[in-house]
Amino acid sequence: METCRRDYSSMSSPLVRGEAFLVTLSVLATLLICFIVVPIAALFLMVDPSTMAEVFGGNPMLASQARSAFIVTFKASLLSTAILLILGVPLAYILARYDFPGKSVVESLVDVPLMIPHIVAGVMILMAFGRRGIIASLTGVALEIEDTFWGVVIAMAFVSIPLAVDTVKVAFQSIDPMLEYVARTLGASRFRAFTTITLPLALKGVIAGAILAWARGLSEVGAILVVAYYPKSVNVLILEWLNVYGLRYAIALAVPFVLLTLALFTALRVLQGMVSKK
Amino acid sequence: MIVIEDLEVRLGDFRLLVGRLEVRDGEYLMVLGPSGVGKTVLLHTLAGLMKPCRGRILVDGEDITSTPPERRGFALIPQNYALFPNMSAYDNIAYGLRARGVGEGDVRRIVTELADILEIKHLLKRKPNQLSGGEQQRVAIARALAIKPRILLLDEPLANLDPRLRSKAREFLKNLHQELGFTALHVTHNIVDAVYLGKRIAYMEEGKLVAVLRPEEFMESEYAKPYVDDLMPVFRSFRGRG
Repeated sequence: METCRRDYSSMSSPLVRGEAFLVTLSVLATLLICFIVVPIAALFLMVDPSTMAEVFGGNPMLASQARSAFIVTFKASLLSTAILLILGVPLAYILARYDFPGKSVVESLVDVPLMIPHIVAGVMILMAFGRRGIIASLTGVALEIEDTFWGVVIAMAFVSIPLAVDTVKVAFQSIDPMLEYVARTLGASRFRAFTTITLPLALKGVIAGAILAWARGLSEVGAILVVAYYPKSVNVLILEWLNVYGLRYAIALAVPFVLLTLALFTALRVLQGMVSKK
Repeated sequence: MIVIEDLEVRLGDFRLLVGRLEVRDGEYLMVLGPSGVGKTVLLHTLAGLMKPCRGRILVDGEDITSTPPERRGFALIPQNYALFPNMSAYDNIAYGLRARGVGEGDVRRIVTELADILEIKHLLKRKPNQLSGGEQQRVAIARALAIKPRILLLDEPLANLDPRLRSKAREFLKNLHQELGFTALHVTHNIVDAVYLGKRIAYMEEGKLVAVLRPEEFMESEYAKPYVDDLMPVFRSFRGRG
């Protein structure tokens, strides 16, 4: 009996220590979740229903501004994500699969939009592609980005590059290159091997990259303010209403935006989970 | 016949040198040597995945040294089999045929025939992660044979199997070769695999092909000594106990 008791205590001791570790982890994780949830809850609690009614129906001018800002924001962010996928997936694949001189420079360049203030990113975009930009002075052809819808798209795409490229690159890196080599010895071209083996296997990562890039585009304001204040996107309009009408109106516009994006991203995460289970 | 002539491949500081190596039609040639000697480099160069800086690879007199892997008809079976995880066993075997534009009717017929021969008919709907090591190996062999390759390049295909499964798989490969008569170049560091399966053994040391011998010649040669010396103490210890 004594032996049994001794054995029992020696077994339970690490278990208790393990539980203490789990409890510590859970407390710290909960703190971080609260750090996200409390501001969201605060925003929702601060909503004034009468202002909300005014913004989305009662006041036709405000309602029309809000509606077109939503359309601009979602259209521009979707387009910027599509552009980033078309251009970003090849770059991510090259960075994941090949070594070449200056590769680390290219990788650092991809991360530049993460490091610089987004107002500066906006200035850089204007100086490069705007009417008085380098491209215009060299070629005589300027992109119509100043205060245009395409300006919003380009600003969103620029700041989202690192999230799209780096996420997809990691996905490609996790796939054994031998799969492609074998596919090629079986008669598949590089393109066929990529589209039938590597890309489907990296699909979860590509979707994750697209979600992150889209989210970054939706939340962008700094670069958009500099490049294309008009047509007003939701973030620009929130800032404008905050300055002109006060906090109540800014919140009335922000709440449906947050709700909508939350619902969309939850749906996308579910889709991503379904793809990974396939 | 496949002929490798005066081949030199560089990979960083490593250098692979093969003076001349012939693989005759229908032959099962073993390439034996310790780890890190360049056996896989030789296999990947033959498959067209690495470029030699010197030398030629000839198939029936035609120089294919610069031919891309997809047009060589050399099927590679790597050590981990590299089955496509996003496809069923059926689609894995059908992959090369579809890449070559074979019609679905013929694809079905060829896959079913091979599945019969390799006794994997009941596994065709499974994904690679639902197969055991031995089953994966058979699917990989079926996938490679489906395209009727000029040569089958096998990179240590028995290395991941436990000893009992390994001897079964060895026998299976021997029988399969006798039945189908394909040409194969099989790389290994295991002398038992080499002697049991090979019609000839190409022996490599320090990045160089040093000899090509029949198994009985190889066992009599100085090259077999390190392997025999490695095994003898084990036999002696058993004899001592007996």
